[in-house]
Amino acid sequence: MTDLSGTLRRTALYDAHLALGAKIVPFGGFEMPVQYGGILREHEAVRKRAGLFDLSHMAQFELRGVDVGAWAEALTVNKVANMKPGQARYNIFTNEHGGAHDDVIFYRLAEDRWLLVVNASNADKMWKHVEANRSGDVRLTNLHGERALIAIQGPRSLAWLQPYVEADLAALKYYGCCETRVRGSRETVVLARTGYTGEDGFELFLPAGDAVGVWDLLLAENREAGLEPCGLGARDVLRLEAGMPLYGHEMTEEITPLQAGLAWAIKFDKPAFVGKEALLAQREAGDYPRIVGLVMEGRVPARAGYPVLAGGTRVGEVRSGSFAPSLGKNVATALIVPSAATEGTALAVEVRGTPHAAVVTTLPFYKRPTT
Amino acid sequence: MALPAGLLYSKEHEWVKLDGDVATVGITDYAQDSLGDIVFVELPRVGAQLEQFGSIGVVESVKAVSDVFTPVGGEVTEVNPGIEADPAVVNRDPYGSGWLYKVKLGDVSQTQALMGPEAYEKLVAQS
Repeated sequence: MTDLSGTLRRTALYDAHLALGAKIVPFGGFEMPVQYGGILREHEAVRKRAGLFDLSHMAQFELRGVDVGAWAEALTVNKVANMKPGQARYNIFTNEHGGAHDDVIFYRLAEDRWLLVVNASNADKMWKHVEANRSGDVRLTNLHGERALIAIQGPRSLAWLQPYVEADLAALKYYGCCETRVRGSRETVVLARTGYTGEDGFELFLPAGDAVGVWDLLLAENREAGLEPCGLGARDVLRLEAGMPLYGHEMTEEITPLQAGLAWAIKFDKPAFVGKEALLAQREAGDYPRIVGLVMEGRVPARAGYPVLAGGTRVGEVRSGSFAPSLGKNVATALIVPSAATEGTALAVEVRGTPHAAVVTTLPFYKRPTT
Repeated sequence: MALPAGLLYSKEHEWVKLDGDVATVGITDYAQDSLGDIVFVELPRVGAQLEQFGSIGVVESVKAVSDVFTPVGGEVTEVNPGIEADPAVVNRDPYGSGWLYKVKLGDVSQTQALMGPEAYEKLVAQS
């Protein structure tokens, strides 16, 4: 076993988590809250009211310079240069084989200033990657650990956050971002209407030293009305229900964004980007295993790594699996050969040596009600 | 953390209640709290022969799978019929209606390998 005791870092909110009774687990090199009041309770808060998340383990890189857009476009599948200040966009850094180094979000704050947010588990790999490939007028600053990230997610997010921020939240579009003031923070913060739960919500990128003030303020003012601190456990269930990929599960250095069902993010009309030829060839051949949703018919949960069978033959593998409270059923994502990947196909997941019935379904499992 | 007197405990966080040569088995309050919301329990079949400290089933929370290591060996005489439809009963009442199964002990002296509440409390405090 690896001894991580000496190497784990803590976010600025660590003591706040302990005071709230959080269970702490190592994740992405940090000691993070996995749950407070229980995953089901936290999940319900986010779906019905709102939940508050500490995501300060995620790495924030500041990118400056006139060449950032063109530079980033050559390393990723989506477009970057045509983003306007005030826009955020999902993207994927790819390798030569079309596999993913990481999935990320670019936030364009000004013409020549961007925020790039990468997964905690990939923070060191990604910093090396962007540094090694730096070219032109691109200046990189690694803010990992210096900046905190607090997310408020759920239908009541806007109402509960608005009293404390200067910006007009209703005017901020989905995947919009701005710099504004928030009570409890001495400096300007980055505010974005982004998230990883399938609900409306906001993310606040702020100096680590100001995180406790903002966190405590939001909880103190809204906890009685139903705002719950939420851990990484609830976050994973929420994102799985919403059909959002988790790096290392639905997408890896081997599993390409095309396989992960993220063709919408791949812009083949760009002149060149890392992995373009491999992805084009994969799309052309069309016979690649792909990520699908599975709904389990019984009460036995499918878990990552379990084999998926069609008529006794192995056709794939579960990549994520959990009880989905929104459906009251167990759901999973699985990487499946195309012949068994059609919606409605009856398959089985092998759980501890026994097959259990599952049906292929399109993602997402959960869509928020339109208001 | 609740630790009823009169029960025996294993280092794998199961409890045993002896009634003659029949033992009722469940998981401890500490175990259910560590696991979080329980959504599925896989129990041995009635009639199965269990070996003490063997892995005989699983308790699954929303996110995780945990093995159940039976604290006593013998023949399974009964499993809790309420658990399949309502696995969360193990969270709500781990020492009562959340019991898992009953075992007819071949050899009652095997319970000497288990702990009383004080020793178990010490073990949990160290973990």
